[in-house]
Amino acid sequence: MRPSLAVLSGRSAWKGPYFVAFPNLREALQNNVPIKTQARSCTILPNFVGVRFMVHNGKDYVPVQVTQDMVGHKLGEFSHTKKKFTYKMSKNK
Amino acid sequence: MVHVLGINLPDRQLARFALTHFYGVGRNVSSRLCARLQIHDKCKVRDLTATQITSLTAFLSSPSTAPPVPRVPLASPDFKPPPASTPLQQLQAPEAPNVKAPARKSGNRFHTDSLVGLKIETDLRREIRENIAHQRMIGSYVGKRHAMGLPVRGQNTQSNAKTARNLNKLERW
Repeated sequence: MRPSLAVLSGRSAWKGPYFVAFPNLREALQNNVPIKTQARSCTILPNFVGVRFMVHNGKDYVPVQVTQDMVGHKLGEFSHTKKKFTYKMSKNK
Repeated sequence: MVHVLGINLPDRQLARFALTHFYGVGRNVSSRLCARLQIHDKCKVRDLTATQITSLTAFLSSPSTAPPVPRVPLASPDFKPPPASTPLQQLQAPEAPNVKAPARKSGNRFHTDSLVGLKIETDLRREIRENIAHQRMIGSYVGKRHAMGLPVRGQNTQSNAKTARNLNKLERW
């Protein structure tokens, strides 16, 4: 996970943003059906605003509601891939 | 001790390095500031004239509203400077025609003025606070790492995350 690449705009501007054309995008906008996707590197475009995505994190699909502020970011930024570290002392020797 | 915009600049330091005491001004920006305000490289803070200090204060208080630098044509190769005995009044430069800045072609990265969008002190801290708050508000990975006080840019946490643990906060400034 390299969020700094997004900050340094890792993709040249002349190439345009990387995005995936979702076939069920219109249906998701109208009926509020979530779109299940494994395309974490897809840039959020302005016409995605208001859509609910289920973004893969390696194991499950995490729900993400897209808002106007999220437009330049990628889908994977909102789907955490690691479980929070908790230390549990085990008594097995 | 010269006071500029709430910061004390120590007298014995070179002006170029004394300006780095401002938050948001490093050595590069400081050199450009001195060039803009015509402060000599080896000039110390105690040697700054009052006009230089006022122009410095005027520029730094709002860099965005500062007037653009007037471009003056360079001397030709066969220019002969007047002798040292000429009185000062005769040496005043005449109103030079404003030479147009080179047209900025698209993708021209070399003739940009880095002092144009300069932010200092409170403005910069506010911008940083807003950026962190924005990341947290949208619920991104970067926002979560700031909230947890852990490194944001993919550094190792198994060892060596001391600076991040110390400094990464949501209310950083």
